[in-house]
Amino acid sequence: MSLIATDGLTKRYPGGVTALDGLTVEIEPGIVGLVGSNGAGKSTLLKILLGLLDSTSGSATVFDKDVRTHGIEIRELVGYMPEHDCLPPDMSATDVVSHLALISGLPRTAARERTAEVLRHVGLYEERYRAIGGYSTGMKQRVKLAQALVHDPRLLLLDEPTNGLDPAGRDEMLELIRRTGHEFGIAVIVASHLLGEIERVCDHLVAIEGGRLLRSAPLGSFTERTGTLAVEVEDGRDALAARLVARGLRVAIDGSAVLVDLVDEAPFDIVRDLVVELDVPLVRMEQRRHRLEDLFRDAPAGVPVVVNPADAPEEVAP
Amino acid sequence: MTLPTPPTPSTPPPAATPATVAPAHAGAIDPAVVDPRLPIVLDRVSRWYGNVVAINDVSFSLGAGITGLLGPNGAGKSTLLHLLAGLLRPSSGRVLIAGRPAWREPSIYREIGLVPEREAVHSFLTGRQFVDFAARLQGLPDPEAATARAIDVVDLAAAADRAVGTYSKGMRQRVKIAAALVHEPPILLLDEPFNGMDPRQRLHMMDLLRSMAADGRTILFSSHILEEVERLADGILVIHAGRLAAAGDYREIRRLMTDRPHTFRVRSSDDRRLASAFLSEPAVFGAELRDDRLTVRVSEFSGFTRIVARVARDADVRLFEVAPTDDSLESVFEYLVSRR
Repeated sequence: MSLIATDGLTKRYPGGVTALDGLTVEIEPGIVGLVGSNGAGKSTLLKILLGLLDSTSGSATVFDKDVRTHGIEIRELVGYMPEHDCLPPDMSATDVVSHLALISGLPRTAARERTAEVLRHVGLYEERYRAIGGYSTGMKQRVKLAQALVHDPRLLLLDEPTNGLDPAGRDEMLELIRRTGHEFGIAVIVASHLLGEIERVCDHLVAIEGGRLLRSAPLGSFTERTGTLAVEVEDGRDALAARLVARGLRVAIDGSAVLVDLVDEAPFDIVRDLVVELDVPLVRMEQRRHRLEDLFRDAPAGVPVVVNPADAPEEVAP
Repeated sequence: MTLPTPPTPSTPPPAATPATVAPAHAGAIDPAVVDPRLPIVLDRVSRWYGNVVAINDVSFSLGAGITGLLGPNGAGKSTLLHLLAGLLRPSSGRVLIAGRPAWREPSIYREIGLVPEREAVHSFLTGRQFVDFAARLQGLPDPEAATARAIDVVDLAAAADRAVGTYSKGMRQRVKIAAALVHEPPILLLDEPFNGMDPRQRLHMMDLLRSMAADGRTILFSSHILEEVERLADGILVIHAGRLAAAGDYREIRRLMTDRPHTFRVRSSDDRRLASAFLSEPAVFGAELRDDRLTVRVSEFSGFTRIVARVARDADVRLFEVAPTDDSLESVFEYLVSRR
């Protein structure tokens, strides 16, 4: 069963703005990252999937249910954590979450029990009886996650879940998302601009651009090793580079690193032996990996590519 | 895409401030490392609100380049930026911008551009009007040209005549930056400049800040996104509970933390043989083979980096990968804020 499937999904707003332009994608359950530039069509997609907005053409299903005819059923199965600050400051976390549980159709007793359960799951204890106005950003984010989970959804939609959190708060939120997805088996879609955290928590990535699918693939395929070996030594960068060139290797310099083209495995030994010969400390030697942001570096035609001299490795003259 | 180079300071370009780590449980970083000729100087600065100490005896100096300001929420980062921008009076100590005390010194606003975190932008103004306002406030001789140039730098020309209220978050962020650099200040202070930007806008902003730093500007920005700081900043300042916990290059900072052993990840053609070869080296006190990966624990960083290639060669093992596992900014930051 697919989590989400769209076929030729198109949305044109009155006034001629095309938010989605024939988007076709199929997403399996798991923790899925959704990335795209501002205005790429992410919010429009989420609204159509929730049955809150009609598409212009094409079709979309969530849990194999058609969004046009089964909106309410889909919304019963989905929990949504919005990006913006949306909690009433004068209510306690317990009151807000149990109220939303009641709205989702839980009986009063069940709502109360589930509320206690999810608030414990997100790590809110004594504070949950205090007014939300006095909460830190991290605590508010937890309440937003708890209300998305209270009715026991099968799919969680998280919009920028780490907004405003400091590094420790981000770690905790990401860990919570990972546990929710993996231990509880709830499918999670994380929309975020922070590629680093998508990389840490997601199994699969869907990138959209200009209302079209840019790429949908397992996360690992975005960060595969490249054929470039980066070597960092202390106080011997140029000497090492020159010796590598003398051995017939293609070499470039990038900041403190010497980049070596890996045509086969021979360069590994050449680097090792030259480091011994030159007697320089070897701080780091590893194959470069592709980065998620490479997706956004290959700008489509018409958008100027900003080339930063610091990023463009200078060739070493042989 | 580049701004004209700011006037060269009369003092010779100072050397980079050396990395420093405040000793755990002890006082602040030694003010002896402060160079009073640099564009930004804090000399034993404290700021308290009633009984609450927001900044406690902080000293540092910053020169040209990009510095990342890090710290948990509530650590005192915003107070620090406000002190630098002359918006707050230090309770004790001196804050110097281009050699002049920042407090009650309007002339420093020629030197600094401030990008606040709050979205204090009137939504009814167009982007151009907003930047033009800043240009006139600065008393620039040709505000229109300066405005057009600043808008060009942040790549906002196409939307400059739309109301700011219609902008996306990333565009609003960029219009604030255009207003802050319309007078081409040699010092830029930015509070969470990447907030709300999408990946492409982030890349563009990083390139922009790098090119401005390459022109000799002093740039200080606060951020919670450690990966970004790691890639952009030449040095970091870590504020924790009002104190300066560390300053300088984060990898050097890591090496100064001699109370923590270093670990390296190694991949080779024969991990088992290599592990036993490492164990006969005095610098190595642990090697672990688990899940097909070799982790080596060493007492001294350079003690290991000096021998690793030789040990591998002597054991006739091909080295595929050698990398320190805990010298990322993330682990350095975690060590720093968990130390006290």
